[in-house]
Amino acid sequence: MTSKRRNGWKPFMVFFILPAALIYTFFLLLPIVDSLRLSFYSGSGFIPTEFVGFENYKKLFTEFPFKQRMLNAFTNNIEFFIIVTIVQNIFGFFIAFLVTRKIMGNNFFRKISFLPTTLSVLVVGFLFKLILNPAWGIFDKMLTAVGLSGIIHPWLGDPVTALPALAIVVSWQFMGESVLFYTAGIDAIPEETLEAARIDGANPLQELWYVIIPAIMPIIGIVTILIFIGDFTQFDIVYAMSTTQANPGFATDLFGSLFYRATFSTPVRGGWGMGMGAAVSSLMFILVFSAVMVWLYFFKMKGDGNE
Amino acid sequence: MKKALLIFIALALVFTFTVSAGGQKDGGSAAVSQEKVKIVFTSWRTEDIERMNRINAVYMKAHPNVEVVFQPINDNEYDAQMKAALETGTGADVIFLRSYDTGRSVFEGGSLAVLNDEIPSLEAFPDAAKKAWSTEDGKIYGVPFAGVTHGVYYHKDVFKKYGLSEPETWDEFIKVAQTLKDNGEVVFAQGALDDWTCYEVVFSGVTTNWWGGEKSRQALMAGKQKLTDANWLSAFKAEDQLQQFFPKGYEALDYVSMQQMFGTGQAAMFMGGSWELGVFEDLGSGSEDIGWFPPPLVHKGDRMQYCFHVDAGIGLNKNSKHYQEALDYVRWTSTPEFAELFMNELPGFFAYTPGDYNLSNPLAKEMIAVASDADLTVRAVWEKMSAQSPSGNSLMGEALTKMWKDEFTPEQAAAYVQDGLATWYKPFQK
Repeated sequence: MTSKRRNGWKPFMVFFILPAALIYTFFLLLPIVDSLRLSFYSGSGFIPTEFVGFENYKKLFTEFPFKQRMLNAFTNNIEFFIIVTIVQNIFGFFIAFLVTRKIMGNNFFRKISFLPTTLSVLVVGFLFKLILNPAWGIFDKMLTAVGLSGIIHPWLGDPVTALPALAIVVSWQFMGESVLFYTAGIDAIPEETLEAARIDGANPLQELWYVIIPAIMPIIGIVTILIFIGDFTQFDIVYAMSTTQANPGFATDLFGSLFYRATFSTPVRGGWGMGMGAAVSSLMFILVFSAVMVWLYFFKMKGDGNE
Repeated sequence: MKKALLIFIALALVFTFTVSAGGQKDGGSAAVSQEKVKIVFTSWRTEDIERMNRINAVYMKAHPNVEVVFQPINDNEYDAQMKAALETGTGADVIFLRSYDTGRSVFEGGSLAVLNDEIPSLEAFPDAAKKAWSTEDGKIYGVPFAGVTHGVYYHKDVFKKYGLSEPETWDEFIKVAQTLKDNGEVVFAQGALDDWTCYEVVFSGVTTNWWGGEKSRQALMAGKQKLTDANWLSAFKAEDQLQQFFPKGYEALDYVSMQQMFGTGQAAMFMGGSWELGVFEDLGSGSEDIGWFPPPLVHKGDRMQYCFHVDAGIGLNKNSKHYQEALDYVRWTSTPEFAELFMNELPGFFAYTPGDYNLSNPLAKEMIAVASDADLTVRAVWEKMSAQSPSGNSLMGEALTKMWKDEFTPEQAAAYVQDGLATWYKPFQK
């Protein structure tokens, strides 16, 4: 097959592209564009009609309480992302490393590690909310049983511990994804490479440090960017464990929950109206889009360098 | 390639036929269901489905051509979903409306019928109730239906065990709490996680006598008083005083857990709303087990200031496909028959519908009896002061939870709400 034929454009190809392009346009592209448009409007109705230019953005970046809530959600999102990235990458990699070793039960653990990921975030959220309940939650009872009653704490009621608690729950749930990626990466390292390292006298730790980790670096990048996208659009876990008010006192507010509350709640419950909500979602879009672009740029550069 | 194209066209045709056949099937079933007119009634109270179905069964028995379907939406999403549905022409026919600004914004969206001429009997409803669902020029857009009140629930056996009686004043109230605490009891099933309870129930409903009730509320609304004034500040301080009696881990105790804790007898007292009577009954604490007392007075002999909050109005979708049938149903909701059915099915909700009622729940009777010898008011910063962001409601919730967690002093909490409201509420900017 010549390269000309491979790259040649044929009219019938439209039929293959069209269905996906239509779905993508109607359900993703148009809503994003419309949301950007709405962020320039204001009004009390469900569909704001009064054009206000950049007024919503001005409010969001300068006025109380919009600025405070936005900055709070931003810093919370960064903290949430850091915790999830560390926990999911380190533990995920560690589990993947173990299940790819020739030890008893590795296949069983390989499968079971993915189980939590198959649950709904809401189910997991409600479950952990019960587990951490200060009146009858099992977590505090377990701490008491092992003699650690001194560290019992209102985990979801203290602004210091509430967000890390949510981040750990999310990490636990999606750990399976990291394990899956890392397992695939480790499995893809040719056995000869590892064998060569062993012949050269590498111990298991050196094998890990000098062979396995460098080989899976691109996967660490992929897992991290997936965590980034997931965390900056995260909403469900806050909704399930901290309600739309991001209890306690907005300490668990992320961009996703801020957007939801701002857009869909009444002012009585902390809502800001559809126009302001659209401004928040546009900001989220710009943040995530820019971060992914930067990531792609660096990885492409790295890829080009390798060629 | 031609073959691939043919296969694609064939698949597309099959898909089109399947979809159109499905459409015909739907059309067919619609024709069958034309026998009965279906009216959809929506509300924010998902817990009421069974009770509302029983009430609607009475109406449907008398109107066999009508099917009333109660379709509530989760409280948090209610306003947005209901408004969206109304504005896109898919809204319910009969709609539960919140009082004042939130309900008013639905009316201003242009989807609600004006009821003055449609239901002339509304004229006889109390003015204070009508005001919550009408415009300044007197257009009523919701049947001023039900109000709720607030106070303190307690377990009779615990009070009996320590020889305690219902406190009348705040000092007595604190003494009761102290006695229970000294005896190792869990005093209040109260938490600080869901901030609305700190403001809507405890501040508005239990410290009412401190902030001064309706006169103070009107003065605050007009900008003649500030939340940092002595009377309002005293309410913040009184609420702060209660923190010492809360259970371990109260910071993380959510609303449902609070109800369960009290309803299952794990705490002696609970500051709550009248609407919780049914919940406690379902949890095994009926009126024979629990007692209730109204917000404690500041001084013995003071006149009771009682927060009797305008809670739910019933609106009619003016674009309803079955306008006449929906109107007939809304008319029925303004009758004493509906009011009595509702109050007995949902004890703790009190209808404004004029009439003499025989309430079956003794605690509900007590709650309504207090109103007859008290000055009535509504939640402190609900009217006008919660129409925009940052709303009085959300600022109060935030400030009070922070106060209960020692992040704010009462003075700081009061100033936080006052300053927050001053960012947009004109009377506070003077």
